[in-house]
Amino acid sequence: MRTLPGPAADAAAPAPDLITRAFTCLTERPISLHAASVLRIGYGLLYLVFLLREFPNRDEMWGPASPWTPSLARELEGQSGWHSILTLSDSTAYFQTCYALALVTAALFMLGWHTRAISILFAIVVTSFHSRYLFMTDGGDNLTVLMVMYLTLTDCGRCWSLDAHRRRLRTSAPVMRPAVSARTGPLPVRQQAVLVRRLLSTLLHNCGMFVIAAQVCILYGAAGLYKVQGSMWRDGTAMHYVLNLDLFQPWPGLSHLADSHQVLAAIAGYLTVLVQVAFPFALFSRLKYVLLGALLSMHIGIAVLLGLPEFSGAMIVADAVFLPDRLLTRSHRGVAMPGWIHAGETL
Amino acid sequence: MNNISTAAHHAAGEGYAPPPEPVVPPGEGRQLSRPAELIVAGAVALCLTATLVHVASVFLFVAPSNTVSRLYQRQINAWVYPYFEQDWKLFAPNPQSARQQISARASMTASDGTPRPGDWVDLTAVDDAAVRHDFFPSHTAQNMLRRAWAAYADAQGADGQVSSPRALMLQEYLRNIAVQRISAHSHTTFNAVQLRVTSTPIPPPGGADQPAAPAPAPSIRLLPWWSVTSHER
Repeated sequence: MRTLPGPAADAAAPAPDLITRAFTCLTERPISLHAASVLRIGYGLLYLVFLLREFPNRDEMWGPASPWTPSLARELEGQSGWHSILTLSDSTAYFQTCYALALVTAALFMLGWHTRAISILFAIVVTSFHSRYLFMTDGGDNLTVLMVMYLTLTDCGRCWSLDAHRRRLRTSAPVMRPAVSARTGPLPVRQQAVLVRRLLSTLLHNCGMFVIAAQVCILYGAAGLYKVQGSMWRDGTAMHYVLNLDLFQPWPGLSHLADSHQVLAAIAGYLTVLVQVAFPFALFSRLKYVLLGALLSMHIGIAVLLGLPEFSGAMIVADAVFLPDRLLTRSHRGVAMPGWIHAGETL
Repeated sequence: MNNISTAAHHAAGEGYAPPPEPVVPPGEGRQLSRPAELIVAGAVALCLTATLVHVASVFLFVAPSNTVSRLYQRQINAWVYPYFEQDWKLFAPNPQSARQQISARASMTASDGTPRPGDWVDLTAVDDAAVRHDFFPSHTAQNMLRRAWAAYADAQGADGQVSSPRALMLQEYLRNIAVQRISAHSHTTFNAVQLRVTSTPIPPPGGADQPAAPAPAPSIRLLPWWSVTSHER
C-alpha cells in the first residue's frame, strides 16, 4: 500500500485530524476498483461455465427430478432459513425458466451491465441454486455464494464493464462540467442527495472489499489451522491419501505418478499448510506475491490432479482481491484490449 | 489509480472522460448540510460495526472451537446461519483414509410375501467412471452420492439409529439416488432398495525399502431395506 495523498490538496485548509482523514478515505476513496471488477468477471464467468457444464444434469441437480426432491428442499428451507426461488413451483417449465434466467444473469453480471441491480439479481439466483442442492455442493460452491453476496456491496462495475463503456459514451459528448472550484457553502439539496448517495456507495464498496479480503484470510487461516491438527498433514502423508481417492482422480496415471514421488508429495503437503497459515500474515509485504504465486500453482494442481476446476477457479478469483490496482492496470495495458475496456479506469 | 483525487485527476487532463456525477474536490463532506453530514456519519458507524461484527463472527464460526466461540456460540450462529455458513475442512484435519464404495440393490416382493433381491449395482464405480478423464467432473458424479452418504452418516445417532428429522430427510435423499440409479440400470419393477457401504482403508505409503503392507480388511455395512412406492420411481 502506498501512502495516500492527503485530502488537503487545497493548501489553505488546516491539516485534518486522523478521524477526518479516515472518514474521508472510507467515504471518498473506493479501494481496489479493478480488483473488484476482476472478481465480478471471474465469478460471473465461473458460474456461467459451471451452469453450462451441468446443462445435461440440471434437472437432476436443481430441478423437480432431483433425488433431493422439491418437498425435501422446502422442508430443509423451513429448518435452515434459506430461501430459494426454485422451490416456489414444482413445474418443469418454471425450473427451465429459472435456469435460463441464471444463465443470462451470470452473463450480464460478467459483462457488467447495470451492475448494481444485476449483482443483486445474481446473488438471488446463486443463493437460490445453492440452497436447492445444498447436499451436492463443495467448497468451491460455498466460496462462490459468499463472494457473490459480498460483491453486491461493491462497485464492481466501475471498470472493464458495459456500464463503464456506456458512461464513457455518455460523457464523451461535450457536456458542461459541474462547477466545482470556488464553492464553499453547502450544495443545493439535489446535489447533496447525489453526493450522499455517492459517499454511501463508496463506503459500502470499501466495507465490502474489506469483508472479501478478510473472508479469504479466514478461509486460508482456518484451512491451515485444521490441517495442522491432522496427524497426516503433520507426518507428511496427507498427499498420499488425497491422491488415492477415486472420485478425485480424473487422471489416474498422473495421480500415481505424483504419489510415487513420496518426498515431493511430503514437501507439497508441508508447503500447503505453511502457505495457508502464513497467508494472512504476509499480506502487508511483498511476500504476498510469492504466496499468491504458490497458491495459484497449488490451485492449478488441484484443478487438474483432483478434478476440481470449479473449486480452484473460485479460489484463484478470490485471491485476485489482493492484487493492487496499479498492477492490474499495468498488466491490462500490457495486453492489447479493445478500446472501450479502457473506459473504466478513472476514479 | 483510485488514490489520485478526482479533482487532481481531471485537472491533469489525462484524456479520461469525466464521470457523470457532479465532481467535487476531496473533503466534499464539508459541503454537506448538517443533516446530510449526520446521515453519512451514521452510515459510517453502522457499516463499520456491521463489518467488524461480520468478520469476527465468521472467524469464530470457522476457527477451531475455542473459549470465545463457545461463549458466544448462540449469537455467532444467529449471525452466520444460513447464508454465511462455511466449511473449509477439505482434506482436513485429515484426508479420508478409506475408500468408500456404495452399492445398491432392489427387491421385488413376490406374491407369497418373500422378498426377492436383485443383484448389487456398484454406484460408486459409476461415479468413478464418470470422473475419469473428465477435465470438469460433474457435481452429480463427484458430490451427490459422496455427500449424501457423508451427511447421512453424520446425522445418525452414535448408536447408528436414524431418529432426527434431518437424518430421515437424508435417508430419503439416499434412497431416491439409489432408486434413480437402479432404474437407469435395469427396467424391472421393485418395491424396496438396500444400500451396502464398503470401506477399504487406503494402504499407507510404502517406501522402496519397506515391504508392501498387507491389504487391510474392508469393513462392510449393510443398511436396512427401504421401501419404495411406485410413484417414486
